Amino acid sequence: MIDRNISQERLDYLWVFAYAAALVFLLRLVNLQVIMASHYREIAEKNRTQIISQAAPRGRIFTSDDVAMATSKPSFSLIYFPGQLKTNSELDALASGLSRQLTMPFEDLRGTLYKSARRETPVRLAENLSSKTMFALSELKTIYPGVDIIVEARRFYPFGSYLSHLIGYISKMDAREWSVYGKDKKYSMDSRVGKTGLEKMYEKELKGRDGGIYLEVDSRGKLSRILESRKWVPGSDVYLTINSKAQAAAEEGLAKSATGKGAVVALDPRSGAVLALVSMPEYDPNMFVAYQDERDQEKLKNLPEFNVALQGAYPPGSPFKIITSAALLESGKVPTGETFYCPGYYDAGSRVFKCWQKKGHGKTSFLDGLANSCDVYFYNAGLRVGPLNIENMARQFRLGMLTKIPLPEEKEGNVFGPSKRAARKSYWFIGDTLNLAIGQGETLVTPIQMALLMSAVANGGVFYRPYYVDKIVNGEGATLYRGKHAELSRLNFKDSTWSLLRQGLMQVVDEGTGQVAKISGVEVYGKTGTAQNPQGKDHAWFVAYASLPGQPSEVAVSVLVEHGEHGASAAAPIAKAVIEALLKSKLPSKTYAAPVSSVQLGTAAPAGPVPEEGKI
Amino acid sequence: MIFTQQAALKKSRMDWTLFIAMLVLLTVGTVAIVSSVAILPQQARIVRTHLIALPLALIAFSVGWRLNYQVFQDQWKFVYGLVLLSLAAVLLFGVVDKGARSWFRLPLFSVQPSEFARIGLILVLANYLDKRIAKIQELSVVLGAFLLALPVFFLLIKQPDFSAILITLPIILIMLFAAGANIYHLAIILGYSFISGLLPVLWTLINMNPELLDNTLVNYFFHLSDFGWNTLFFVSGTGVAAYLLWLLSVKLYSNISGVYFAGAAVVIALGFLSGVMVKHQMKEYQQKRLEVFLSPETDPRGAGYNLLQARVAIGSGGIFGRGVFAGTQSRLGFVPERHTDFILAVIGEEMGFWGTALVAGLYVLVLRRIKLAAGLARDRFGYLVNCGIFGMFMVYFFINFGMLLGFIPVMGVPLPLLSYGGSNMVATLMAVGIAQSIYARRYALV
Repeated sequence: MIDRNISQERLDYLWVFAYAAALVFLLRLVNLQVIMASHYREIAEKNRTQIISQAAPRGRIFTSDDVAMATSKPSFSLIYFPGQLKTNSELDALASGLSRQLTMPFEDLRGTLYKSARRETPVRLAENLSSKTMFALSELKTIYPGVDIIVEARRFYPFGSYLSHLIGYISKMDAREWSVYGKDKKYSMDSRVGKTGLEKMYEKELKGRDGGIYLEVDSRGKLSRILESRKWVPGSDVYLTINSKAQAAAEEGLAKSATGKGAVVALDPRSGAVLALVSMPEYDPNMFVAYQDERDQEKLKNLPEFNVALQGAYPPGSPFKIITSAALLESGKVPTGETFYCPGYYDAGSRVFKCWQKKGHGKTSFLDGLANSCDVYFYNAGLRVGPLNIENMARQFRLGMLTKIPLPEEKEGNVFGPSKRAARKSYWFIGDTLNLAIGQGETLVTPIQMALLMSAVANGGVFYRPYYVDKIVNGEGATLYRGKHAELSRLNFKDSTWSLLRQGLMQVVDEGTGQVAKISGVEVYGKTGTAQNPQGKDHAWFVAYASLPGQPSEVAVSVLVEHGEHGASAAAPIAKAVIEALLKSKLPSKTYAAPVSSVQLGTAAPAGPVPEEGKI
Repeated sequence: MIFTQQAALKKSRMDWTLFIAMLVLLTVGTVAIVSSVAILPQQARIVRTHLIALPLALIAFSVGWRLNYQVFQDQWKFVYGLVLLSLAAVLLFGVVDKGARSWFRLPLFSVQPSEFARIGLILVLANYLDKRIAKIQELSVVLGAFLLALPVFFLLIKQPDFSAILITLPIILIMLFAAGANIYHLAIILGYSFISGLLPVLWTLINMNPELLDNTLVNYFFHLSDFGWNTLFFVSGTGVAAYLLWLLSVKLYSNISGVYFAGAAVVIALGFLSGVMVKHQMKEYQQKRLEVFLSPETDPRGAGYNLLQARVAIGSGGIFGRGVFAGTQSRLGFVPERHTDFILAVIGEEMGFWGTALVAGLYVLVLRRIKLAAGLARDRFGYLVNCGIFGMFMVYFFINFGMLLGFIPVMGVPLPLLSYGGSNMVATLMAVGIAQSIYARRYALV
């Protein structure tokens, strides 16, 4: 067409090359902006926002009578925003002012402030300020505009160590916990999590959603504006089946006992609901909430986390006679009218077995034997019934089995008997039968097993799985979970067996060894016990259940006082106090004349006000 | 073909498609610039300069369009003289900014003559190639073209303005290629550039991964980067090897001329020596950029940070973008040079995939219209000028997109028609004006 004497071919090549490159660019853009978009969006968001989180109040923990066992308290933290104060001399002045008020080393504060000012990022200078410090600091605030105070919610246990083994405690996460919880966006590095007990088991429900102040920062981390102040959402409240008065009575009683060590478990025989649960020694969970220094770490190491009520396995002693009695009555091998003579000992040929009463009980029938806990009667009866029957009966009463209370590391104790011996290819001696019959020897039980046993006796042979969470209610009032009673097993005994057994247990309290536990107007059925302890003083047992006349039993309780020596004197008063705490209010007022418990828990129940809103 | 086009083309003295594409790009660029500088302290100055440059650029466009481009061929000596004079003058009277003496300070704004020098060089080269088209296959023409550009390069190095050289060199190659230069000659030049460019990259890579030095061969190769006996051995070794290979080919009765062997040896030796030179001449920040390109994640808070943040900006835009004036990456300063070299990151973040795809599409459209205008040019000079302008846009497009998308190392190269930069915009629009002038005076209208 035009005489340019030049071919356009090469320009076409270049054009094709440019076109192909544009397509490659386009594919790359699709990869970046369509396929990987959310990935990059996330990075961009992280780039620009910085959060000063405000810990949300954890869900509260209430007893069945609405006393808060764990609540949240407003806590004040001191924040420094770089910006207005920047020069080193200004920061030095601020640090010295703050170090006086906070009693923190001047060098530490200055270092933190310098770092924060250099990076232009806000920093938390102190947590859990006391109200006294608060007032002093609010004065400082007017002098130094860079510091401010924000409100956070802090865990608070109003009754200190009460119920600590059940509730557990919260503390900062360790690396392993962070790897689990860290996946959840609700948690940040300095979130507190439940370490044991309820706090750990219901961590998900109790944990609220933290609020926070979202700051937009530029590429140098400099504050550019506050994006939003997000309000926290409190965690769900947990309502326990625990009765605060019974719990207090048990706590007080055990604390005042001879050694102050042991366990109290009270169950509702109608459902298996735990009414009181004490294990001593216990600890104050409040001490983990605050700032932890080395001293606290030391405390943590020696923390009495051992829950005696379900982890402590002890010889049952005399309360085991309930099982021997049941075997006796069910087998019918020993007529209840038949008497054995108790001279204070039993000669088993190779060895002499003593009765606890040196002078002996004389001619003893079943009911007297049980009421006075005559060992010789049960030696004779045990031999007649046979060890296998007793062993089987112990298993039927769920000894050597977990009660399946939803708490970790429960121990199952031990049942011994001829079949177990046989399984171990060992021999069974006559002495073993005698020991078995009175609950000494190798049998080991936990306090909660004994409480469950008593509640089965009380309700006619039904074993309910113990539970302690009645319901979980979220902030909107919706019930998220409701505790239900679950039957583990059931005993099918003759009616006469139950009535004779109850008659015997009632006689224990009315005229036998457990008279200390007698409460006028209340039918108390119990059994004292002393578990022989080769390592030291004997352990004191008292197991009981009680009912108002003509009504089904409402409480079964087992008390173990470590090294308490005598069940009647050491353990029975505690059980009595617990039963009183539960049943006294239901009594017609005239018939009840017992002294009022010194503990008045119900009124002293501040359900800690939850701070309204965090503010900078 | 001629007939149908003639009928259609008679009507317009302006390629409206090209014009509108240019305006859209300018608009998108202006929006992105205003958005990206919103929180910068020098915001007012930047926006003001841009708004002054915009009408000036449109005037330059009109001038380029109305003026008969053939005047540049007639007065090529004047153009060439003006290029050299302005570049020399800036060395004498210019002011230093960012380490380079490349600016004339005027009352309201500054002018960067190297931007205009590039257009001037395209015009001069087009004239040169047009005159020697008969001998285009000879090496002398290729060397002549580089000789013509040499004083310009010399003055640019003096400033120093490496990015201007980086853009101009490929444009010369593209013009030679389009004019029909011997492909072997271009291959030699490309091979030379490739070797001298690749060696420093390899050396840097070894430097970053010292464990590679355990290998004897790698170790030897690495020590070649130091001047010394090793280097001398290598260069003479290349010569000897080429000679032996030639002897071998003679023995095998092949007809391959010895020139090729000698040429290959010279290219390798020269490329190698230049590579060593480049390695030793590289400034620290250039070294750093190279390392970042080779592995951007090694140092996310350091030099790699910029590129990474720019990529985060593009990626976070998604399909529809985060909204104009709502991009956090660019507005909060995570993206460096966001109103100049990294303007595409701002567009990507705020306008999303549609924004970047639109920009890429418009760039392809601009290239296509310039190529079309070249095909219609009434003379060979016009054709060659358009090839040069085509090459210029292509190089900018490749380098800027390639750098942001991670295909090539970060280089300080803007994206014309979009990036902030008055001189660049004025020069670019003038180039588009010249392309329009060539279109307007196409053969069909005579």
